[in-house]
Amino acid sequence: MSATPRNLLPLLVLPAVAVNLFTFLWPMLNLAGLSFREGLPGGGIGAAFSLATWGDLLADEFYLEILLRSVGMALGITGLALLASYPIAFFVHRADARWRNLLVVACISPLLISAVVRTYGWLVILGDAGFLPVILRGLGFAPPRLVFNMTGVVIGLVEILMPYMILSLLAGFGRLNQTLEEAAASLGAPPLVVFWRIVLPLTLPGILLGCLLVFVLTVSSFITPKLLGGGRVLLLATEIYDQAIVTLNWPLAAALSLIALGVFGAALLVYGRISRAAERSIA
Amino acid sequence: MTQAAPGTAPHLLLDRLEKRFGTTLAVQALSLSVGRGELLGLLGPSGCGKTTTLRMIGGLMPASGGRIVVAGRDVTALPPHRRDMGIVFQNYALFPHMTVAQNLSFGLEMRKVPAAERAARVQKALEMVRLGAFAARRPRELSGGQQQRVALARALVIEPSILLLDEPLSNLDANLREEMRNEIRDIQQRLGITAVFVTHDQAEALAICDRIAVMRGGVLEQLGTPYEIYERPASEFVAGFVGRANRMAAVREASGAVQLGPLRLQGSGEAAPGPVTVMIRPHRIALCDAVPEGEGWNGATGRVARSTFIGDLLSLEVEIGGASLLVEQHTFAGRAMPRPGEAATLRWRAEDTLVFPRSAAA
Repeated sequence: MSATPRNLLPLLVLPAVAVNLFTFLWPMLNLAGLSFREGLPGGGIGAAFSLATWGDLLADEFYLEILLRSVGMALGITGLALLASYPIAFFVHRADARWRNLLVVACISPLLISAVVRTYGWLVILGDAGFLPVILRGLGFAPPRLVFNMTGVVIGLVEILMPYMILSLLAGFGRLNQTLEEAAASLGAPPLVVFWRIVLPLTLPGILLGCLLVFVLTVSSFITPKLLGGGRVLLLATEIYDQAIVTLNWPLAAALSLIALGVFGAALLVYGRISRAAERSIA
Repeated sequence: MTQAAPGTAPHLLLDRLEKRFGTTLAVQALSLSVGRGELLGLLGPSGCGKTTTLRMIGGLMPASGGRIVVAGRDVTALPPHRRDMGIVFQNYALFPHMTVAQNLSFGLEMRKVPAAERAARVQKALEMVRLGAFAARRPRELSGGQQQRVALARALVIEPSILLLDEPLSNLDANLREEMRNEIRDIQQRLGITAVFVTHDQAEALAICDRIAVMRGGVLEQLGTPYEIYERPASEFVAGFVGRANRMAAVREASGAVQLGPLRLQGSGEAAPGPVTVMIRPHRIALCDAVPEGEGWNGATGRVARSTFIGDLLSLEVEIGGASLLVEQHTFAGRAMPRPGEAATLRWRAEDTLVFPRSAAA
């Protein structure tokens, strides 16, 4: 790098900027424009500028409900994925160097299988005649319904998104050093206090990164909610899909997309705020 | 020197302490006691079990056998947070997300010391290590020596019953190392705290410890004051590890005299007649005009093979009857510099001629 003249460095990001302009910014602007048209019955799009789409959308409580459900579910899934992934990531981080790479591969290997296939897998396991309910019924329990409702969507998404959480956590564990825990213990801290005061603050960057990723991926996921929700769990992403593909109301789909984009922006903002505060106290 | 007074119970007692890793014994039946206010050095090459011993004392590693007793109380089974020991780690292990003051305050919080008293004690401890103005800094904003002093203050502010130091100086550069070791010694003496100091550096151990335990392969090789360790090493290993020595194979006769090639020497040490190793420290050999006669002295004539001037030292390699002796002399202005090929006459005391049974490992 040092051999590159300083004023040439900006040129290196030019290709990325150009690609992003054409594949992200331009379609986004298009989308924004589209949301200010009127969706006509039968899939037509009005030619004139119109506030009708946004007006309908903002007036209808249904969409607010969808938005809140999407965000609430994403927050819940993020929390559950974190709880499920943290012990795994901690174990992998602590594992003997010989095993660590193997364990990392094992953790992220589910990513090698399409989310669609894994979702169908969960249908087989959780479905009414599926593996889990049958066993539970055989044991004399009356299991609650596990698919085609929020429960199924949450179970499926947590499992499907865990590899991202584990990877993010592992990346953030670099600062952790067992000697620090020993030092805290020698100063009189019992194990739980060591975790709360030493381990958790030092792994916070990884936690925040993992939460951001899982949150964003949850809000934008639609295959898993669609299949495991059985059309009964209405979310932002599934609604966008329905409006664009089924109802053919493209302006409404565009407007909902922009709202999703707003959610992502807000998530990024919160992430940046918290991680800067954390960085100040950790670095 | 502060040592356990005869008749009083030792402050720290290791009783047949043992650590097994699989089938290897990292520490074998180690028994020793440390008196109140004593600074004990655990000295040995890497892998000798000294750090393992320290970690067992601190509770960071369970013992496989034996007992650890502090002030009459068996602590062998206690977890580290209930042992009341201050540990200074080799890499300092300062909490990076806390300020210097928070690092020091941590142990006091764990002991439920009220906030006002905490602040006062933290400030006092920081002043003790001359870092009073650094309370609000982060560890990474400090130099290595300053971090070392924070680590020391953090371990001491809790007023532990025992201070454990694990190679605390090995990450510092040479000048700072000497300064810090004296500072550690000063503070340890001022507080009168019982301390165990692990090091592989014999000069460090000799300089500040009340007593030194030399370890090798998990076994205690010798326990004694620095003087005893240096002047009356119990084994060939100790003589070679602490200080430098010429090491030569010889034979001890029934009369006690030692035959080294054509030379007949008087030697100290209990080695039985038979094959022995003779060790002579280079700076205990002097250049002289004539081979000395009589009791108490050994002498030899030889040829200078190499002569090196190192400022404060003159280092010579002298061939005597097939053996090569390293000789070190202090220099002074006007001193004649022997040249290679010249003849040299040497003398040294009988008590500086250490005789050990020939060991298999040597």
